[in-house]
Amino acid sequence: MQERYAYYPGCLASLSQKELDSSTRAIAQKLDIELVEMPSVTCCGAGDIHEAKPDYYLHISARILGQAEQMGCETILSICNVCTLNLRQANKALQEDAALLNRINDNLKEVGAATYQGGVDIRHLLWEVSEGNGYEAFKSIAVKSLEGLKVAPFYGCQILRPSKILGFENPDNPQSLERLIEACGAEPIDYPAKVKCCGFPIVLAREDVALGELVQPLEQAVEAGADVIVTPCPLCHLSLDAWQRKAADFAGKEFGIPILHLAQLLGAAAGIEESEFKFKRHVTRLSPEVKAKLQVPSAIGTEA
Amino acid sequence: MTEIKNAHLTTLKGAYDTELMEATLRIRRWDPDTQRARFDTFTVTVPVTASVLDALDAIKDTHDGTLAYRKSCRMAVCGSCGMRIDGGAALACKTPMKKFVDAGHTITVSPMGNLPVIKDLVVDMAPFWEKIRAVKPYLDTKDEEVPDTEWRVAPEHGDMIHKESLCILCGCCVSECNSMESDPDFLGPAALAKAYRFVGDTRDTDTRERLRDLNGAHGIWDCTRCYFCNQRCPKGVDPRDAIAKLGAESFKEGFVRDEGARHAKVFVDSTFKGGYLRETELVPKTIGPVNAVKDIPFALQLARAGKVPNPLSPHKAKDNDEVKRLWKLLEKEAKGAERPRAQHPDAVREG
Amino acid sequence: MHDHVSRFRDACYVLAVVRTPAYPAVYVRGTAARRLFPEVSVIRHDVIVLGAGLAGMRAAIEAKRRGVDVAVISKLHPTRSHSGAAEGGINAALGNATEDSSDSHAFDTIKGSDYLGDQDAIEVFAREAPNDIYELEHMGAVFTRAADGKLAQRPFGAAGAPRTVYSADITGHVLIHVLYEQLIKHDVKVYEEFFATQVVVDEGRCAGVIAWDTKSGGLHAIEANHVILATGGVGRMYYGTTNAFACTGDGMSLAWRAGVPLKDMEFLQFHPTTLKSNGVLITEGCRGEGGYLRNKDGDRFMVGDAPNAMELASRDVVSRAEWKEIADGRGVDGCVMLDLTHLGWKKIKSRLPGSRELAIDYAGVDPIETPIPVRPGAHYMMGGVDCDLWGETMVPGLWAAGEVACVSIHGANRLGGNSLMETIVFGRRAGQAAAERVLEQGDTGARIEPGVLADEDRRIAGILNNDQGERPGALREELAKTMYDKAGVFRTEEALAECQATVHDLRERAQTLRLDDHGSVFNTDLTNALELLSLLECADCLVTSALARKESRGAHSRLDHTERDDETWLKHTLNWCDDGEVRLDYRPVTITKHQPLARSY
Repeated sequence: MQERYAYYPGCLASLSQKELDSSTRAIAQKLDIELVEMPSVTCCGAGDIHEAKPDYYLHISARILGQAEQMGCETILSICNVCTLNLRQANKALQEDAALLNRINDNLKEVGAATYQGGVDIRHLLWEVSEGNGYEAFKSIAVKSLEGLKVAPFYGCQILRPSKILGFENPDNPQSLERLIEACGAEPIDYPAKVKCCGFPIVLAREDVALGELVQPLEQAVEAGADVIVTPCPLCHLSLDAWQRKAADFAGKEFGIPILHLAQLLGAAAGIEESEFKFKRHVTRLSPEVKAKLQVPSAIGTEA
Repeated sequence: MTEIKNAHLTTLKGAYDTELMEATLRIRRWDPDTQRARFDTFTVTVPVTASVLDALDAIKDTHDGTLAYRKSCRMAVCGSCGMRIDGGAALACKTPMKKFVDAGHTITVSPMGNLPVIKDLVVDMAPFWEKIRAVKPYLDTKDEEVPDTEWRVAPEHGDMIHKESLCILCGCCVSECNSMESDPDFLGPAALAKAYRFVGDTRDTDTRERLRDLNGAHGIWDCTRCYFCNQRCPKGVDPRDAIAKLGAESFKEGFVRDEGARHAKVFVDSTFKGGYLRETELVPKTIGPVNAVKDIPFALQLARAGKVPNPLSPHKAKDNDEVKRLWKLLEKEAKGAERPRAQHPDAVREG
Repeated sequence: MHDHVSRFRDACYVLAVVRTPAYPAVYVRGTAARRLFPEVSVIRHDVIVLGAGLAGMRAAIEAKRRGVDVAVISKLHPTRSHSGAAEGGINAALGNATEDSSDSHAFDTIKGSDYLGDQDAIEVFAREAPNDIYELEHMGAVFTRAADGKLAQRPFGAAGAPRTVYSADITGHVLIHVLYEQLIKHDVKVYEEFFATQVVVDEGRCAGVIAWDTKSGGLHAIEANHVILATGGVGRMYYGTTNAFACTGDGMSLAWRAGVPLKDMEFLQFHPTTLKSNGVLITEGCRGEGGYLRNKDGDRFMVGDAPNAMELASRDVVSRAEWKEIADGRGVDGCVMLDLTHLGWKKIKSRLPGSRELAIDYAGVDPIETPIPVRPGAHYMMGGVDCDLWGETMVPGLWAAGEVACVSIHGANRLGGNSLMETIVFGRRAGQAAAERVLEQGDTGARIEPGVLADEDRRIAGILNNDQGERPGALREELAKTMYDKAGVFRTEEALAECQATVHDLRERAQTLRLDDHGSVFNTDLTNALELLSLLECADCLVTSALARKESRGAHSRLDHTERDDETWLKHTLNWCDDGEVRLDYRPVTITKHQPLARSY
């Protein structure tokens, strides 16, 4: 973990998933990390721009990376799987091909945008707090024990695969979320679908296919006795949380399992203000029992 | 008998010298007669250089000859021995045993996923081959006059399909394809990588027809980007990247009607219109206004949770004019660019 | 653990007793009177191609294009065939890199063959090669290109010009896939995972094939007036071999038992650069790109045997030099070192990525940083089914192409890059000739009589149901070690005689093989046993021919007869099947332009 990061919250945390942004900022403050704002950035492309206009994708990625570089930041902190993969993938392409980087920089110069020299790394919040001094730092601020809370970790795809671009941990048997869940005093629940896809990228274009994928983690986590699912990805969160109703109709059974952002789980253990969690913004509401296990006062904002 | 000079040369002394180790494997068995599964565990003595396939051979030769699996080249090129090792599809011949033995770990070997099991580790590849056939997997130069020597292909154009032509059709990518689990008719990563091998071939002139077909149901926009295919591929084909390339080619050729393509288009437009994604536009522009209306109860649910940003004051990043100018610059560049084509040798001679 | 294993074994024996071994014997032609099982439909083709590697697929495509009904029968799915493992390239005198000619290609091949190749065949081969390459390119083969967009050509051992067309170091892979694509395009019927157990000859004419359906079980009689054997090589009779598990000489054995002689079986090429762990081949392209061979002292020892060509001398020459270094104690752990480190990472990654991957996977070294330990391994059978320039054997309607055949192009030693070219040229020729014969002749009337199927059915059932004797794997390993130790790079009368005795003993013991699996679905215990029988017959032919040939020529190097003896031995060996025993016979070599000269590099 570093003391200073260029902070790239991405589209979802900036707009529809503001609870992730506020929780992250609160956690960063507790950890004494400086998050440097990036006011001029665009969307990372979410894989869609990579697919539709690959050259444009590389240009906007270089612009984002270049902005971090010019702010004097070595590392971009991401709180989204999709942003992490897309920026890392572009970064690898740019770093490995000098001719490509030169051409892109020429174009960026022409439109007056920041150019990129290739010196920036992109790290996900999960990686920064699940090992090394970041993990130690988190343990030191995790003052509340979430004892009795059964948490199903859901990694999502693009923080694990392809490992030659991500490479933080074994993509078939990741342990970082489990480690953090335990550090929070809660109990990690194991289930096979924790490394599978939530279906979100195609939930609008191919709803049935996506829901077929989405029901797997929901079903397995509930069957394994989890109280909540925690995920490091706001897209997975949106899928698991907001599309849970549709998945229930699709599967013909109720799940009713609340979905936490990683920063919310960490925040609960660190005792950050309940207002930062913005649980009202969740579609699948948290029951008073779950809130109690999260050590969040249930008097405020109970929707049960 | 006369003394023969260098008679010692007939046999290489120590040719078989090798260090041995004990390897333990847990294998999922499937009996086609009883239609029942079970797990068997075996311990065999194998050389330290043994692959999982070598260990299976040792089991078959010395412990249980009924064990069924496919194999042939044992050098990761024929694609026969795809199977799940600890749940992830891999080539048995390309997976060394030693790391497991050293870790004291008993691996579990089971058949590939997304394909029906015939016996033990042998799956029925018929659905796999059907999908390969479905993408018209051969070069089509249509009405072009066939030259008397080779088509002229610039080396850098040949490189465009280098990764896809590495594919050995082993099925490891298909085994864990999350979209295929949900939609068994999805063409899937192997067939789509094969499809790009022709779309990206500068000799092929059937590009538009190919892309039109691939933009249909169960085509490229079924891919959920789980990246299992890239992770599993033993040859570095990166099928997901091939699917993305097919998407880009579809855009170039104007195939933008599929919901998947329209979804991607909203992301592109958002960047230069405001910076971050214009989420409010995502639903109606992807699934169309009529279907969006049908989804209004769902949309209201999202709105109640504050998940629908105000469409009247969309996000606007600082300095977004740069991005707009960048977009225009690249579009101008792309407009002038022609699809690279192989040249007929006669044209080269005349030119 | 061991307890469990032995318990399971007991359970297995019980199963063997209670399970009904009968599988449906299926007769797939004909009239109701002849049909053994009335529910089975009639299957009959004009041409059957046995084997779906490069030669087989090329033959099938050609026959199909000419409008006849052709089917491919293969024990593997076509893209699993071992042609796909060929790495370095395919030779044709295109003259893209430097000036070159078919005559030059022919001469290099004749010299490389140590003058045992038939010169009329070699001339046809060299002349037709360029057009066949262009056709592969038109089919879609992804070859490596030169800067001008033409096909790039690299130098290979014992070739007078850079003549080898290639696709990085995965040429065979690229070709097997392009021909499979054409098979799909031409909608050729493929009986996948069917194991041929007999080629049936009816009154001296080819009548078809009896084959076991591995996937579902059951013996099928599939009739055709024309059968093209394209089953590949037999490297698995050796312990150290580059060949796939599937290379068990099935086609050679089928032809031999059908009354066709096997030619020049003593000429088995050892490839100089194979890995110790599993025999995997590291392409000659590595030396073509400038790689060195060094002994334990770091010396380039090729300076002794081939001071001019050095590492790019002919394969037999390099293999012998390596073998001597190792046997005389100048090797490293039973190997010499193939050093690519001076080529640089860029060249290795772009030209030799497959070899790098193989070295990392199976030798545990990255050739960018560390030399690869290699040794000679059994690689290619120059001999094979005796046939003419169109692939036809002495049995009318039975043809052969590719490694299974001996036309003979390679004589006593094959040049790198010529085998892929042979599969294409002679695969096409066999497909063309068989199709023309069908169109000219119509039905020859040759049939598989029910009695023949019944006999084969009894033979296969006997093997399938047997639970006495030794396991096929044990015998296969004994054979492979015997051959590697006693019929390897250097041979003597004494070693070959011992080898022959062991092979005869193994053939006897293989009459009763103990099978664990008596079921009908995907029974690879059964196919392993059948493959062992093929290997043993081919090994018997090899060792008997080698014992008789008292000279050194090409890959056949006798320590007790060290010189080439053109007066006595400039002739082809023929191995006939005489009631299961090998009977030798000889035939002159065809010489057109080039009288034998001393061969030096």
